[in-house]
Amino acid sequence: MAAEPIVVIRELTKTYLQGDLNVTALNGVSLDILPGEFVVLMGPSGSGKSTLLHIIAGIDRPTSGSAVVQGINIAGLNESQLAEWRNQNVGFVFQSFNLIPVLTAAENVELPLLLTDLDSKERRRQVATALELVGLADRGHHRPDQLSGGQQQRAAIARALVTDPALIVADEPTGNLDAKSAGDVLTILQSLSRNAGKTVIMVTHDPKSAAFGSRSLHLEKGEITP
Amino acid sequence: MTLASFVIKNALRNRRRALLTVISVAVSCGLLVTLLTLERELTIPPESEAASLRIIARNKVSLAQPLPAKQLAVIDKIPGVVAVSPFTFFGGNFREETVTSFAQFAVDPARFKGLMVEGRIAEGSYDDFVADRTSCFVGADTMKRYGLKIGDRMRFSGTFYPVDPDLKIAAVFQGTVDDRGVFFHHKLLDELMGNPGTVGTWYMRVASAETSNDVIARVNAAFANTSAEVRAETERAFQMGFISMLGNVKLLIGSVSTVVVFTLMLVTVSTMSMAVRERFRELAVLKALGFRRRELFSFILAESFGLALAGGMLGIFGAWAIWTGIDLQKLTKGFLLYFEVTPRIMATGGVVAALLGIVASISPSIAMARISVVQGLKTLD
Ligand SMILES: Nc1ncnc2c1ncn2[C@@H]1O[C@H](COP(=O)(O)OP(=O)(O)OP(=O)(O)O)[C@@H](O)[C@H]1O
Ligand SMILES: [Mg+2]
Repeated sequence: MAAEPIVVIRELTKTYLQGDLNVTALNGVSLDILPGEFVVLMGPSGSGKSTLLHIIAGIDRPTSGSAVVQGINIAGLNESQLAEWRNQNVGFVFQSFNLIPVLTAAENVELPLLLTDLDSKERRRQVATALELVGLADRGHHRPDQLSGGQQQRAAIARALVTDPALIVADEPTGNLDAKSAGDVLTILQSLSRNAGKTVIMVTHDPKSAAFGSRSLHLEKGEITP
Repeated sequence: MTLASFVIKNALRNRRRALLTVISVAVSCGLLVTLLTLERELTIPPESEAASLRIIARNKVSLAQPLPAKQLAVIDKIPGVVAVSPFTFFGGNFREETVTSFAQFAVDPARFKGLMVEGRIAEGSYDDFVADRTSCFVGADTMKRYGLKIGDRMRFSGTFYPVDPDLKIAAVFQGTVDDRGVFFHHKLLDELMGNPGTVGTWYMRVASAETSNDVIARVNAAFANTSAEVRAETERAFQMGFISMLGNVKLLIGSVSTVVVFTLMLVTVSTMSMAVRERFRELAVLKALGFRRRELFSFILAESFGLALAGGMLGIFGAWAIWTGIDLQKLTKGFLLYFEVTPRIMATGGVVAALLGIVASISPSIAMARISVVQGLKTLD
């Protein structure tokens, strides 16, 4: 059964005006990603990896070209539609965890659910499931500063998957972690794509991390190179 | 967790700052309420209606110059004057006191009755006051303050007049704008002073406020080009003249209040800006998670509003409690009489606090709306 691609990108460009200078971050990128793939984006600094990821995830807009995710041309959505779309379809994992410091791990994981219609009992159940999945079932009531870096990043992954999105994007998720914690995080992301059917797109500089993916793409000066 | 508890956790994330914000709003709101109460206190008497029905005529040269007692016969004939009595400020110190803590006036009791527009006799009988040349007619507040009763004696040592009248309380009045004064027989003062044939001022009543200007003109004209020219004005204008001696109180209090509110605004606005700016990155994360501008705006508004209102309530009710609990009349020796923090003044303070909360959220909200997710994620990264 040939699955429909979940991400369809055609001739995507992104340019920034820096002073009088036009900086090209993406230069005519075309790309299909299938559901359940674990795509790894690699390439030198400044090659446009983050920019591509941001556009696919709906937090940045392309200068030209189209990005269709799950059949929706996301460039055609307005700010508030895009926000709602992100809430339902995308989970974010950042290099620096980005948990809210005044909230416990469980409360951080619950945040995206506050925008849904779920009642508090149902929310708590989903939070527990997500924390269980990343092996933090017993750390829910800890605040971020009471967790190790690896635990914080796992909490962030729980937050990314608690709404059950089809797409998970991760920008250098292991960049701030030691080898052991990095391995844990990568294993979780891999199992999300293999066992839960999530599509994972990850940016990394580390070839060892890239080995966890199902496909690697190389970006160079805003273009995908073979 | 609910959205409300999220807002509360955010508001209290920097406890010291939240506390300082609440306290500074509380102090400023308390000060504002106090200023408004002071303004009301200092401007109540002139706003009494009866005060525009009464006219005071004094020596044109100065208030300290007496007027000839024989002017009475002339004033009696002036059309529009319903009642007239000599009205001489005695300014004595009560018992052992060293300051004049309430006013005493020498009047003609029979004539003075016609000038009492408001107020009523609370104790004793006015006829007793009229009948006894050494008696006095006392305000209820003064009775209460010194624990006096009918028949008690009040001895004053004169400060302008070198005499010390010893008066018996015959009647008590209540319900005037100022229930503190003591009135006694002008005849007694005349006798003690060896019948100089003078009075301090003339106190008159007109039938209606509309006629007062005409009557004033007639009184002034009646003594023009005599050896004792008079200056007549309504009691209201007379009191306003007193207040304007303190400077233009209304303007002064108005400008101090404006400065207070403005400072208050700067404090709150800068606190909120700081609180939001250091959270740009978190706001960007919340945006990425799907929170829209309007939700983030309501978080900021709720936080700002909550802090301002908490401070406002604390300050307003604090001021109310203080000014209601303290006997200011005693403390200020009768200068401040009521100092009532009215519901209207408290509401004004509340509105100021609420507006403040809203105003303080404007600039952080604009900054929040402007910043994109990608920009926000890059801050402090
Ligand atoms: N807001 C911006 N204004 C101007 N230029 C920008 C902006 N954001 C990115 N760029 C430029 O776009 C190009 C691609 O940036 P991007 O962040 O996608 O690179 P990257 O591959 O993620 O790099 P790194 O590995 O260092 O994270 C760079 O040349 C960068 O300088
Ligand atoms: Mg990058």
